[in-house]
This record gives sequence, structure tokens and C-alpha cells, in this order.
Amino acid sequence: MSDRFFNWRFWPLFFKELNELRRNRRLIGMMLLPPTLNLVLLGFAMNPEVTDLRLGIVDESRSAESRELISAFAESKSFVPAAYYSSVEELTRALSGGELEAGLVVPSDFAKKRARHESAEVQLLVDSVNSNTGSIAGGYAARVVGALNEKISLNRTSVQPARAESRVSLFYNAGLQNSWFIVTGMIGMLLVMLGSLVASASMVKEKEVGTVEQLLMTPAGSAEIILAKMAPIFLLLSVDIGLSTLVGNFVFGVPLRGSFTLLYFSGMLCVLSGIGIGTIIATFTRSQQQAQLMSFFVNPPLSMLSGATTPIEAMPQWMQPLTNLNPVKHFAVLARGVMLKGVGLEVLYPNFLALVVFTIILVGVSAWRFRKQLN
Amino acid sequence: MSAAIQVRNLVKNYNGFEAVKGVDLDISAGEIFGIIGPDGAGKTSVFQVLGGVMEPTSGEARMYGKSTVDARPFVGYLTQTFSLYQDLSVAENLRYVGQLRLLKRRQIEERGEHYLQMFDMARFKDRLAGSLSGGMKQKLALACALIAEPKILLLDEPTTGVDPVSRREFWDALAGLATGGMTMVVATPYLDEAERCHRVALMYDGEIHQTGTPAEIREQLGLQRLEVRAADLAQLGAAEDILNRIPSINDVQRFGDRLDLMVANVEVGEQATRDALGAAGIQATEFKSGAPTLENSFVAKLRELGGELKTSPFPRRRQFRERAADAIAIGAHDLGKRFGSFNAVKNINIEVKYGEIYGLLGANGAGKTTTIKMLCGLIGASSGKMELAGESGSLRSSFVRQRIGYMSQKFSLYDDLTIEENLNFFAGVYQVPREEREEKKRWVLEISGLEGKGDLVTCSLPGGWKQRVAFGCAVMHEPSVLFLDEPTSGVDPLARRAFWKMINGFADRGVAVLITTHYLEEAEQCNRLGFMVAGELVAEGTPSGVKAAQGGHLIELITDEPQAAADLLKHTRERWRISLFGDRLHVVVDANAEFEIEGLKKELATANISVLEAYEMPYSLEDVFISVVEKARNRG
Amino acid sequence: MKRIIAQTRKELTQFSRDRLTVVLALVLPMILMWLIGSSVSLTVSDLPVVVQDFDQTPTSRRYVETIRASLTFRIVPLPITAAPESALDKEKARAAIVIPADFEADLKRGKSTEVQWLIDGTDANTANVMRNNAAMISQAFNQQNAASVAPAINAEMRFWFNPGHDSNQYIGPAVFAVGLALFPPLLVALAMSREGEQKTILQVYVASIHAHEYLLGKILAYMIVAIGEWVLTLALAIPMFGIWFKGDPTVFLISSFLYLFCNVCFGAMAGASIPNQAAAIQAVQNVCFLLSFLLSGFVFPISNIPSWLRWVSGLVPARYFVEVSRDVFVRGGGWPATWHVPVVLAFLSLAFLFKGWMSLRKMQIDA
Repeated sequence: MSDRFFNWRFWPLFFKELNELRRNRRLIGMMLLPPTLNLVLLGFAMNPEVTDLRLGIVDESRSAESRELISAFAESKSFVPAAYYSSVEELTRALSGGELEAGLVVPSDFAKKRARHESAEVQLLVDSVNSNTGSIAGGYAARVVGALNEKISLNRTSVQPARAESRVSLFYNAGLQNSWFIVTGMIGMLLVMLGSLVASASMVKEKEVGTVEQLLMTPAGSAEIILAKMAPIFLLLSVDIGLSTLVGNFVFGVPLRGSFTLLYFSGMLCVLSGIGIGTIIATFTRSQQQAQLMSFFVNPPLSMLSGATTPIEAMPQWMQPLTNLNPVKHFAVLARGVMLKGVGLEVLYPNFLALVVFTIILVGVSAWRFRKQLN
Repeated sequence: MSAAIQVRNLVKNYNGFEAVKGVDLDISAGEIFGIIGPDGAGKTSVFQVLGGVMEPTSGEARMYGKSTVDARPFVGYLTQTFSLYQDLSVAENLRYVGQLRLLKRRQIEERGEHYLQMFDMARFKDRLAGSLSGGMKQKLALACALIAEPKILLLDEPTTGVDPVSRREFWDALAGLATGGMTMVVATPYLDEAERCHRVALMYDGEIHQTGTPAEIREQLGLQRLEVRAADLAQLGAAEDILNRIPSINDVQRFGDRLDLMVANVEVGEQATRDALGAAGIQATEFKSGAPTLENSFVAKLRELGGELKTSPFPRRRQFRERAADAIAIGAHDLGKRFGSFNAVKNINIEVKYGEIYGLLGANGAGKTTTIKMLCGLIGASSGKMELAGESGSLRSSFVRQRIGYMSQKFSLYDDLTIEENLNFFAGVYQVPREEREEKKRWVLEISGLEGKGDLVTCSLPGGWKQRVAFGCAVMHEPSVLFLDEPTSGVDPLARRAFWKMINGFADRGVAVLITTHYLEEAEQCNRLGFMVAGELVAEGTPSGVKAAQGGHLIELITDEPQAAADLLKHTRERWRISLFGDRLHVVVDANAEFEIEGLKKELATANISVLEAYEMPYSLEDVFISVVEKARNRG
Repeated sequence: MKRIIAQTRKELTQFSRDRLTVVLALVLPMILMWLIGSSVSLTVSDLPVVVQDFDQTPTSRRYVETIRASLTFRIVPLPITAAPESALDKEKARAAIVIPADFEADLKRGKSTEVQWLIDGTDANTANVMRNNAAMISQAFNQQNAASVAPAINAEMRFWFNPGHDSNQYIGPAVFAVGLALFPPLLVALAMSREGEQKTILQVYVASIHAHEYLLGKILAYMIVAIGEWVLTLALAIPMFGIWFKGDPTVFLISSFLYLFCNVCFGAMAGASIPNQAAAIQAVQNVCFLLSFLLSGFVFPISNIPSWLRWVSGLVPARYFVEVSRDVFVRGGGWPATWHVPVVLAFLSLAFLFKGWMSLRKMQIDA
């Protein structure tokens, strides 16, 4: 029994692949560097946080009241008074030159109106070229003014009017660390993309160099060949799952609140889907160059339409259901569920099942295509 | 004559490995200078330095007094691999190279036209370089190198993988250029080509061991050549072993259907041979003496330098099952292959029995490789029936493949693995029993001359060595059917002999072998041959059979100016009738040989070419090949 | 010069020979731009939320109406028995709002009360938007409810340049830059490394063509291709994102040319130093695309990148082109605002060109 096991044709094929992989330092680098480097880079760089907005001020009132308003802005962490301007024209010029993110115009009758207990108008100009920053800045400004209004009305009337307050509790990511979102999304993306890249490279290389003929003349069956080709890539990339979890934890403090086993298994399914995609690409191409160009058709949609780095809700309505066809999306949900929310399979089973189905389909189709090509 | 190329103490190191160990060369203007040597001797490194594309580690090379880098404008360089843009047409390739060399458009067109005419390629002007056959690619590459009319032409194994007819045409073109005053340096594994050089240098292990005209080199050997033919070709191997033991015979070399004995005295040698062979019951049919060829000298010199490979016997473990006599190992009936509208192979019938060596011969692009791939089940046939190792249904079953050895024309080892890892892989995947593996791996390393070097990465080996390892890998599992597609392409003469010794050994033990080759003298050792032209099997039979089927007579002429004589005769006769074999001229005539010889002598005398010797000869396979292919080409 | 033209002609012939590559080269940037443009955005709307109203009074229902009226949220039903947190766990909702039982009573009694907003913080940016909205919804509710005094200060918000909060205005011009960052350098890098891989470079070496002629010939050929891509992509971007030149386009045109040149030079440099097609593709893909995508300030503001990483973005050509492209299509600041862009791009191009020339300079095999 054990003799048959050791004499199985899979082993020489497997060790051949492993040795080739070992020799290919560039490929190894490609498999081990991105999870660490990319994750760190992306975690730091992809940060849409809005703080320290530069606020330009035109104060035509120059009164105690106007200074109260300006200091209310200055005290909030969101705004930094950058400069004072003598006219609205100057302010708008600075705004269009990109020197400011927001401008505050206090008209000359501000103090007068306040004294008369009339509503005093001020103008807030927000650069909303970046609509995300713009709307967040608008929200901050509204909160600053609202808080000041409350204070003023408190001082004016002794009776406190009954108010409804929003008490916000932030779940899962109380510090609102954007890197947590990026890291949990990127892991799956890297696993799928690397899997497909490495698999297509190793499959197509044999075709390109011509050794595939020699391989086909050996008695090895196509199942053995494809298994041996997938196994080393699978093993190496499985290491990456743990590696990227570690990097996420050490560099960004991403927690692991749920079961590591579930995360690991999902990651392995991701790797397998990636290998499946890569193998399918390889069966359609003749050279590495073609394979890589082909992957430009496949990888951008996989990464863009996954909600891995940007919220799915920001996509057009009709596009949102399409993300369900993307294994990267399901892994992102799984990773966030396990790492940030600490939930388990009882909640995440739909995504896990989806991953299982994708893996079966992709690996199945790739094996079928590969086989068809061999014969 | 002025020195066109001067090389002084040239040394080239690659990461501690000394490829060239101090080479000196002086080559005169208008000379064809040949560099010959076994694989890995450092020839390519010398060419790359001369071409100005690589810095030497030390020493210097000057061309017409200029450094190699400055000399580039008047140097043409043709590499081993086709350095053409495959996706450009013939005309576009020429135009690009011409424009890079700052030629005027008129010049490019005129010269391009001229060289394409000269190489008989004008029809293919608009064809993509990638879809030309190997021989045509090399001719186009030559035309590209020539378009700037360089003063010096460097040719690094330009005819590797090119069929004998194209090879001759290529050399005819070179000879024509040399008479125009161009200096040429050529490396070649074909020693009959080297005969056409003015001077040759023998390079071995990074050093030059001998330089001189082919005649000088032949003389330096100081021996006479004695050709011996046996009645039965199968006995030639045994005869070689016997003669090797006779002290008065300095060296025995096998050439296809004959043995060349190197002897100090012809009479003594002949007598000794007759005695020895007679005692062994081998009938020697023909004795002929003459000056040794360049190949004789080359082989003798390499043996002296210790460059010969061992051919240790294969550690065979299994016996063949008893088979019915004349069982068919490879069978094809009306086999055809169509690629789109192109009929690559047309209704071929082949039968190869166990123990038989079948040679498939043909020009580049005749469909040999396609046929082999169909026969071993790699690609499906469009029509016809096949039989392989007793199976006629599924040729792709792992049971069938276990019994087949295959060595593809394209390189078949994993370049990025070490030799040891390659051997382990093939031993494992063919499930060679564990207890035999060590012995078999050792055997492969021995026959490749790589003992103790198993951990070299395969891609660092010269081509010829890889071929030997690949052969070893293909036979480790003791197959009963062996497919070899140009196994000796680019392999030096000594190694080729070693190859054939092993192939013969396998056939003797009942292995069926199907082989293709461009070395026709090797093909003499096949039991049967098939000639393919444009996808059809036009002639088939034993070597002697196909020769006998060739009508007319063959006359060999030795003249003082073989090239000029060939050019002259080609004008007055059909082209296929005249071919150069080294320094000899072969002419195929229909009428009485004696009568024709007189005619030829007279004809050549009018051009002041004197005939030194002229006699009728038996056809060699190469003669047959040339006339079969050329006749087919003339038909259309 | 003649040699440069010969080189260019040959490159273009080779390029046009491979129909598939031609189609890919012209179509892929457009597809990529379309894909990124329609999928990459941070501007969320219609976020699903669940509301658990323990009060079930007219007042509490009015609060719910206020939520419904905001464009940011979309209320999805929640089974009575379910815990609101579970909706977050299951990704059914991004936030859960719990209105306490005596909401109306408290307010009527003049006692302040609290509505609980449980917000999914996984996506920090979206969470931030939700937090702002939670505050604003309560403020709006209070104002309606009190209906008493006018606020002391009435801030009139004016969103400049992009009043509709249309993220296309922001993303569009930048995507245009990113879409062009990948393919021109990729094609030229492939054309360079292919010569190394197929050994045709030897033919070039012996032809005594100078390194700069060889390099410029390739660059010129792929500049022509790149300009073709630029025209097509621009023609798609204008209707797709609904953008048009706001002011003087000359700085944009000059910068476009320099940007394409810069990218092609980078590709040539990569191809010259990596004689292996697959590796060259990798290098170009990682550097040109990934860095352009991440460090150009195209979605994520450059000011948020930590300073130890920010200097890298200074070397990314796309970063400058994004600036000029946003300026011409959205702000219209013209030369005074963006004069530095062509200067920097020209400088970067020369640096890449020089590096490429250095690795080819000898026109010899390295050994």
C-alpha cells in the first residue's frame, strides 16, 4: 500500500513543479512579497479619512460674535483656519487654486443680526471636486454650526428644550481605522490574483518552451499532471494567508475576533479559485505574454467589483448584484465577519457556500479545459 | 594579403568559468575561415566578441585595425538561432536592417532583390519570416547580414537544422561572396562544410589546437585513409570492434555504410584488415585508399585530446516479452493531416517492426515532425489508421506511453531544473523501479560526459550535451518503441557517433526506432528509410535499395577549383545533377560513365580547371536525397 | 535620425501585424477607464439600515420619516424578534437605529432622550458619513419638532465646482489619467524585452545603431500608439463622465503629451533593463498601475498618505497628470494653478530616458 503511494506518479510530477518553482526566484518573490508589501502599502495609502480641512476665512464683521464662530471651527478637529482674506473674490481664487478645502464668509451685518436675535446668515464654501471629502466636510460644518446654535440657545433661555439626540455606537471598528477595511478586503484580492497569475505562468510556460510534448508522452495522466501543478502553488499561497493575517495584525492592529480555522479554509478556497482562473487563462493562450495580457481582462473586474477597497454601495445600482459573482467579494465579507465582527459560520454560511461553489466550478472547468487540451 | 581580423590572447570568463582561454587568430581579407570543435569548446563566445556584442575579459580583437565595437558598420553577424523578426515579412526584415545601416532606399531594394534572387527566394518577398522553413530563414538572415555589403561576415553554425539541399545552396552563396573579396569566419558542426573553408582552426576546451588549410590539417595527421565496406551492414559494428584491436590500424571511424581506417601504410593495413575480418567471418566487399578527410583528422585529433565520450552499455534489467516474429511496432495506413486547407501529410503508409531502425528523411518543412507527432499520438490524424506498440485504439493510454520513448526536436528537458532533478523526474514519472534508478542515472551521466556534474542547472549546458541527457531521459524506462526527432541536430561528429552506437544497441535488443536526421551519412545505419517531400512519402526502402532505385551513374571529380567547377557545370546541366561534397564534386550522369568523364574533363578544361581525379562511385544517401528532393522541386 | 525613423517604422509594422494586440491596446484602456469610473467611488447612498421602534407613536414615526427622507439611508425591514446587531453581523444593514420606548413621552415631558445609532464601523469612511448623517438627522428632527426659534446662525452651504456631489466630476478626470498609465508603457516594455528574449537584439547590436537612436525609435512608435489611445479614451471620457474643458486647455494638452511621453519612457526603461517579457509585464503592472492607482490621489487624497510614503507619490507621473486633468475639467485654474505639472513631467521623462539609455548604452551582451 505505502509502496504504491510512494511510487505514485504524482510525486515526481509534484517535486518537479516544486523544484521549478524554487528555482524561479522572481515568482517566489511575487508570491511572498505582495502579501506583505502590498498590504502595508495599501493599508497606509488607501485612506479617505477627512481631517484638518484647510479653511479660508473672510470676516467682514470683525466682531466678538464672528470670532466666536471662527473659534468654534478652529476647535473642531476637522478644520484648520488657514488664512484670512479681505474679499470673497480672493477667497474663491484660493479655493480654485486648490489652496483651501473650504471657505467661511461672515457678512458685515452678522453681529447686528445676532444682537437683534435674528438668524444671522454665514456662507460656507466647500470644494466638492472630491465629492466624498466635500460631503463629509459639509457634514462637519453643519455639526459645528449646530453645536454652536445649541450653546447660544442654551445661554438665551434658561429652560432647556426637549431634544432628541443621536447616540452613536460604532460597531466592530470603534476607532474607525480605515486600514482595517482595506486589509480585510485586500487579502482575498491578493490570494485570487496571485493564484491566477502564478498558475497561468507555470502552466503556460511548459507550453511555450515545448516541454509539454515530452510531458504528454510520459504515462502520467492528465489528472496527475494538473494536480501536481496546482499543489505546490496551493501550498505556498496557503502560507500567505497566515502571513497576511499576521502583517495586518502587527502593522495595523487588525484584530482576529473569530475563528482562524474558518478564515484559513476560506482563504484556501480563494487560492483554489485563483488557481482555477489562472489555469483557464493558460488553456486559452500560447505564451506567457498572452496569458498576462489576458489577465488584464480578468483581474481589474475581479478587484474593482469586489467591494474590497471601496464600498459596494458606491457602485451604480445595477452593478451591485454583479459583485455576488465574485469570489473576492465573498472572501471580503468572510474576512470582515471573522476578523472584525467575530462571527462564525452560523452567520457567514451563505458566503462560505458561495466560495465553495465557485471553487468547485472554477477548478472543475479548469481541469476539464486542461484535460481537453492535453488530449 | 592584409590581415582582416587579428585576435590576440582573447580570454572570456563567465562567473568563474573560463570559456575562452587565450585565443590568437589572424585571418586575411577574402578568406573563408572555419572554426570547428566539439560542443562547449567556446566557439560562440569567440563569435560574440568578434561581433562586438560582448566584451572580452582580457585580450583584444581588431578588425581592419579597428576595435570590434567600431568595426560594427562593416561586419555582418549571423547567429545560431534565427535572429529575424518573425512577424515581419521578408521584405520588411531586409528594409529594417538596411535602414539601420543607413542605406538609401534604392540600394536596399536593389541589393535585396539581388540576394533574394541569388538565394532563390524572390517569390517569398511578402511572406512572414515566421512562416518560412528553417533553411529559408537562414538564407534570409544571411541576406539581412549581407545587405550592408559588409567586409567581414561572421557565421555561427548557420546551417544547424538545415537540410542537405538547403545547406549546399547556402554554401554556394557563401563561396560566391568569398570570391567577391568578403572575409568570412564560420563555425560548423558539418565537417564536409569545413572542407570548403580556406583555412580551419580546431578549437577544444577554450583553446585552438590546430590551424591550417584543410589540406595541411589532413597532412598533419600523417596517415592514409582506407575505406572498407562490408557486405552486410549489420556486421559493420562488429567489424569496427575487431579492427580497433589491431595495432597496425591507428584509428577506426564509422561513416554510415563504411569504415574509415587510419593507417600509416595502406598495403599493410589492408592485409591486416582482410585477415582479421576473414577470421571473424565478416566479408569485406570493397577497399579503397585515399587521403584522409577533414573529418578523419578532426575525429583523430579529438580522440587524441581525450574528447571522446564513453558509450557504456545500457544497464538493461528487463527482457522483452516473447513476440511473434515480425510483429509491427509502429504502423500507419493512409495517414493524413490537414491544417486548415494545407495538407501537411498526405496518405502515408509506414510499418516499423521491433528491432528495426526506420529513418524518416526530407527537407525542412516536408512534414516529418508532423508525421512523428501523429505516430506517437501527440496530435490526432485527420485521416487513416494507426497502430502503436500493439494498440490500435487508444494511442494515448498510459499503458502505451509507458512503452514509448520520445525525444522531441524542440528541447525536451526542463531548463530550470538541475540535471539530477531532470533525471529524477523522468525516472519517477516512468516509474523506473527504485532499485534501478541510481544505476540508470549514473549511466545517463556517463554517456553525457557529465559524471559528478549532476547539480548543474540544465540551461547552462551547451546544446549538444543537453541532447545527450535528453536521450538518456527518453530511454531510462526501457521502452520498446523509440521516437527520435533530430536527436543529433547541432551535435559534434564524435558525439553523433556515440549516439548512433547507443541507438544501434537498442535496436539490437529489439527496440523499434523511428528517427529523423539531416545527417545523411548517419541515415546509412537505418534498416529502412522513407523520403518525404511535401507531405508525401516518395521513396522507401533499405539504404541499398533506395540507392539502387536511383538510375544513372555517379561520378566523383577532384579538381583544383571545386567551387568554380560546380558553378560552371550547373550552367550546362540540371542543377540537381551537381553537388559539392567538401572538396569533391559529385555529378549524376545518365549515359556511360567513362564517356561522361571525358566530356566533363573537356568541359572544365575550357575554363582552365584541371581535373585531378575522376571515377565512378556508388551513390551515397546524400546523393540520393539531393536528387530526390531537387527532382521533386523541379516538378513543382 | 534616419535610423530612428527606420526603428519607428519597424515597430509600427510589427505592432499592426498582431491584430489582437492592436485591438487590445486601443480597447483595453477604454474598458479599464469605464470599469474604474463606474465602480470606484466612495460616495455612498442608499445605505441599508434597520429601525427598531419600541415607541410606536406619531413622534417616533416622524423620526423614522426623517431618516427615510435622507438620501443616504434606505430602511430595510427587520423581524420584530431579531436583535438589531444581528442585522449588522449578517451584512443586512450598515446601521441599526433603536428608538426607545418612552421616546414621545419623554419629549413631551420636556426631557431629552436618546436614539441609539449602531453603526457598522468596518468601512471607516462610510461609517464617518453615517455618523455625520445621524447627527444631522437628529438636528433636523429637533428643528421640526421645536418649530420655535429660528437658529441663531444659519449656515448657507455652497458646494463649489461640483454642486451635485457628482463623484464623476472627481473620479472622471482622474480615471482618464489612470487608464492611460498602464498600456502605453506596457506595450513599449514588451516590445523592448521581446527583442532581448528572442535574441533579435543581437541583430540590433551589430547594426551599430546607437542606444539613443534605438530607444527613441521605439519610444516614437509607441508615442503614436499612445496618442491614439489618448484620443479614444478622451472621446469616451467626455460623454461618460459628462465633463468638458473649463478654461484654457493648452496646459492640459501639453501635459497630456508629456504624460504619455513620460509613461512610454518608463516602459522603455523597464523593457531595456528586463530582458524577459513576463517579468517586464510584472514590473510595469506593479509600478505603473498599482502606484498610479494608489498614490496619484485619484480616490484617496495624497495628504492622507503617511509622510514616509508620500515622497514616492512624487515620482508617480499620474499624480501630476491627475492634478492638471482635474483642473482643466473641473476647476479651470489654467496655467497659474498648474504650470509646474509640465515641468515635473518633462523632468521625470528625462530621468527615465536617461536610466533606459544607461542600461543599453554599450549595446552589448552583459556577461
